[in-house]
Amino acid sequence: MASSKGKMKLEDFDEDETMEELERFDDFTLASSWERFISEIEAICRLWLADGPKNLVGKGASPLGFPKNLYKVKSQLKYGTKSYCLEYYFKTESGKNVEWTDDSHTLQLSFGVKEFLVISPLSASGVVLDAPEASKLLSSLAIALSNCDSVWPAFVPVHDPSRQAYIGIQNLGTVFTRRFEADRIGSQVPIKLMHLEGLYELFVSKFSYSTVEYTTTVAKVQFTMKLTYRTPPHEDDDDSAQVREPMESEENSEGKTQGRTQWDDDCPWTEWYSAENPIKGFELITIWLSKKVESSLEMAELENASLYAADKCFLQPILSPYIGNTIGFASQLRLLVDALGVSYGAQFLEDFVSVENPTSDNLKSSAAVPPPTVLDRVLKDLFPEGAQDVDYVKGEHKNSRAIKGAPLESLFAQFCLHSLWFGSCNIRAIAVLWIEFVREVRWCWEESQLLPRMVSSGSIDLSTCLIHQKLQMLSICIEKKSNSIKDLHKENEEKFDSLRTKQTHGLETSNEDFKTSQQGRRGSSGFAGSMMLLNSCQRMHAPYTQDAPLMTEDMHEERLHALQAFGNAFSFSGQLEKDVLSSDMSAFKAANPDAVFEDFIRWHSPGDWEDDNVNVKGKAREGATDGSAQSDWPPHGKLSKRMSEGGNSWRQIWNSSPALPVSEQKLLLDPNQEGEKILHYLETLRPHQLLGQMVSTAFRASIDTISQTSYGGLKQMEKKIEQLYITISSALKPLQASNSSDKIELIDDLKRLCLVFEHIEKLLTFAASIHRSFLDAPRLSEAIFSQFFSFYLPRMGKGLIEKENVKDFNVKEQVRASERQVILDLFPTPTSNQSWRKVLSMGNLLNGHEPLLREIIFSAYDTMSGGHYESSSPWGSSEEIETHRMYICGTSNDLHVALSVTSCD
Amino acid sequence: MDLSTSQAPEFDYLFKLLLIGDSGVGKSSLLLSFTSDTFEDLSPTIGVDFKIKMVTLGGKRLKLAIWDTAGQERFRTLTSSYYRGAQGIIMVYDVTRRETFTNLSDVWAKEIDLYSTNQDCIKMLVGNKVDKESERVVTKKEGIDFAREYGCLFLECSAKTRVNVEQCFEELVLKILDTPSLLAEGSSGVKKNIFKQKPPEDPATSGCC
Repeated sequence: MASSKGKMKLEDFDEDETMEELERFDDFTLASSWERFISEIEAICRLWLADGPKNLVGKGASPLGFPKNLYKVKSQLKYGTKSYCLEYYFKTESGKNVEWTDDSHTLQLSFGVKEFLVISPLSASGVVLDAPEASKLLSSLAIALSNCDSVWPAFVPVHDPSRQAYIGIQNLGTVFTRRFEADRIGSQVPIKLMHLEGLYELFVSKFSYSTVEYTTTVAKVQFTMKLTYRTPPHEDDDDSAQVREPMESEENSEGKTQGRTQWDDDCPWTEWYSAENPIKGFELITIWLSKKVESSLEMAELENASLYAADKCFLQPILSPYIGNTIGFASQLRLLVDALGVSYGAQFLEDFVSVENPTSDNLKSSAAVPPPTVLDRVLKDLFPEGAQDVDYVKGEHKNSRAIKGAPLESLFAQFCLHSLWFGSCNIRAIAVLWIEFVREVRWCWEESQLLPRMVSSGSIDLSTCLIHQKLQMLSICIEKKSNSIKDLHKENEEKFDSLRTKQTHGLETSNEDFKTSQQGRRGSSGFAGSMMLLNSCQRMHAPYTQDAPLMTEDMHEERLHALQAFGNAFSFSGQLEKDVLSSDMSAFKAANPDAVFEDFIRWHSPGDWEDDNVNVKGKAREGATDGSAQSDWPPHGKLSKRMSEGGNSWRQIWNSSPALPVSEQKLLLDPNQEGEKILHYLETLRPHQLLGQMVSTAFRASIDTISQTSYGGLKQMEKKIEQLYITISSALKPLQASNSSDKIELIDDLKRLCLVFEHIEKLLTFAASIHRSFLDAPRLSEAIFSQFFSFYLPRMGKGLIEKENVKDFNVKEQVRASERQVILDLFPTPTSNQSWRKVLSMGNLLNGHEPLLREIIFSAYDTMSGGHYESSSPWGSSEEIETHRMYICGTSNDLHVALSVTSCD
Repeated sequence: MDLSTSQAPEFDYLFKLLLIGDSGVGKSSLLLSFTSDTFEDLSPTIGVDFKIKMVTLGGKRLKLAIWDTAGQERFRTLTSSYYRGAQGIIMVYDVTRRETFTNLSDVWAKEIDLYSTNQDCIKMLVGNKVDKESERVVTKKEGIDFAREYGCLFLECSAKTRVNVEQCFEELVLKILDTPSLLAEGSSGVKKNIFKQKPPEDPATSGCC
């Protein structure tokens, strides 16, 4: 036999791997070219056999990528004038060949094999079109493989490439041989073969006449099936386009879309933009395992099996290819950062608005300003008629305050969000909007109208950005201003009022008290608890006092600088605090004409009054008023040591403070003056100062907005958002430094921040989408999300997620029995309108939806017992072997059939 | 950390510390005791007081700006502005007056939450006047428990005898030096670039206190 020579040759050239050398030496007159071809194949196979999978991988076998863990090595050979390519496919780890696992090659799935060889001509089509050639190739392979005692199956692609047809052979020991055949019908599938019943009969027919010698029992047919369904597209995807069209022309400028319901209608970002659903749909894979089928009738029934009967059920989300390039906050923030970069170039915002200005020349193309109607609408939204309640806390994340911006829902935050979507968020559009904005604020000030979306009381929140602080302060000034006008009217009434109340009080208290209150008492807000004055038997009155002056951050800064200028002055106290103290003292004196310094201390700093009888009053400013108050007079006690020392600054101030009620005092905060200062600030704000604060606020408002998305209990998401807050707050810090030196670096950093933001935003969109898909099966959404999370995370650092990458996400999540109802809900029963479009013909409908793909494996087993098989059978004497196997894969107009038959030759 | 570009060469870091607590617990005395090694009964602070102390700790020259606030309720709204940008906040109570201790949780801790702009800022609980051991009403254990619950440093000291006064400020400053984000703020020649210095999602920067 030729192969024995081949063997000898091989031993000689074991080390040599180049085929040319082998060929050059292979000059045997005895050997035919066919024999040489066989020995060549044999030599290659021996090498591969000797190496084993692990070494082959080490030597550079190429992984296929999909399916995973499958590698191939190849070698080229010549036979006559033709060149062939021999490929060996193998897996690194030998596992049980489980059916319906994801990582199966088509050939593995079709024929139920693990590793295999494929020989194909090196031609354009890559298939053997000529039948004799095909069988010759297959015989050569079979001989070569049996020479090296290999049980590898071998395949030859035949016919037209579109048919994906193969023939193949496998030696199983010396007795059995398996033959393989696969083919495909690409159109016009006979009705009979569209249904399980017909397919079953096709399989049975294969052994009813080809293997007469076998005592086959039809009852032994085993059947497994895998059905793949695809969720129907959302209705609005199909037909809302034309409905939406006319509305969009109006709304276009702001990127808002109205119309039919969108998937994200109740998501917090929809006020600003509509996001593409990152999940296009789901693929549902249901699997029926190893059913014994005895008759065609049974098969027909299986066509109506319900989802609940399936043995296994998997779900795979189909990602939208657009996940990589959506519009969102991140894209707009990037534009805003660009605007910040440009803003450094100009002194005044007006520079950007005037067209003649040379600096705006290079901006013109991208610097479109939306038409006045849009501007009007934005201003109307910013300054709505009628006051509304504002509650900043509602939209606040626990990390919000770390970002120095205006709180969500506040006037400036709303301004920033609007400018993100105003025009293309270019510097000109922003400048136009800002100038109009300030004009509106000025109008509110002049008309004493309260600012919308602002709280007009309380203190200034220094963790916010300066513009917001200024607006807060202005809001308070407006409130005070309008109050002081009202007060003028009120004052007269009050005089009568107070007189009347004093009279009624007077009846309760002593006559004497009444008299003095008539005489000189001014600006009292009522009794200060049950306290009595020291030197006259009167109840102590608490005066009205001025509110402590509010200060914005820059005012504080100014003060601190002033304080620090004094440096280490030994004992130093703030002038402002002295003013406050002095004002309090004046008011106290006015309300208690007979009071002494000690009285004031007892009221103002009770800790510095040391009561003799520790257990009762004196400490508390508000004790219970009872009749005993008078009998306790005069109160006992003394000033604390530190208060009573000579040169005490409190006493000095006391001595120099005149008795003046608040109404007659110089105001600590003059609303008219302060308000005007604030407007001056707003009107002369430098472009980069505005843009810097806008960037901070826009980031804060954006993340505050998206973090309100409901996404169930997805822990990773929650953590990512928290981290994003921290990242943003630290990345924005250089913006607050007044003289940040490297602008380019700063802009680069901010761009990077936008990228981080974009990733989180996308992750969040996915989380929101998956959450609402499975509201009733949180486990499922959590499992799928965490798969996506671990898929997405490593790609985050490497720029955008590309379209191709999205395809790599093919995670299948097993669905539990309890979750199947939720799955069924993904497949709403089609409306009559939809169902007439398709002719449903293949059965196995899920809520009226045809499967995308139906795969079936039939197998028949037989016992090899007795007779001459016994000694040589590789499976032992009484083992059952799979005699017939058929893999069918298809839809109603595309059918693959692959058959493998084991026989003894 | 890059110090070569420091504009003010006489120190490496500038830290802002803040003293808060009820009136009369000894905040000003504590500060005076620390800055000038003396103790005297001081006039009650009006609003705010402020002292600078240069120290060298761990090989670093530090400029400490310590703000001393008035405890009176009337000054509280004014005081709020001084929380801004403080890297360390010292809460002082008087071990001989219980209400100064209970007010820490009732009043002062809330003020910190409300006004502190620095999330990482280090808080320290200090029980003053331990020299008056016979009058003590707040035990050390109570102090420790509160400090643990609120996540802050704790020390008992006496401004009068100067027991633990140095340690109090020293421990606080050491802790600040251990906190990268605070260190970055206080650095005199600061150049911040979070994307280059460290991964932005470094949990260590947020994980303290």
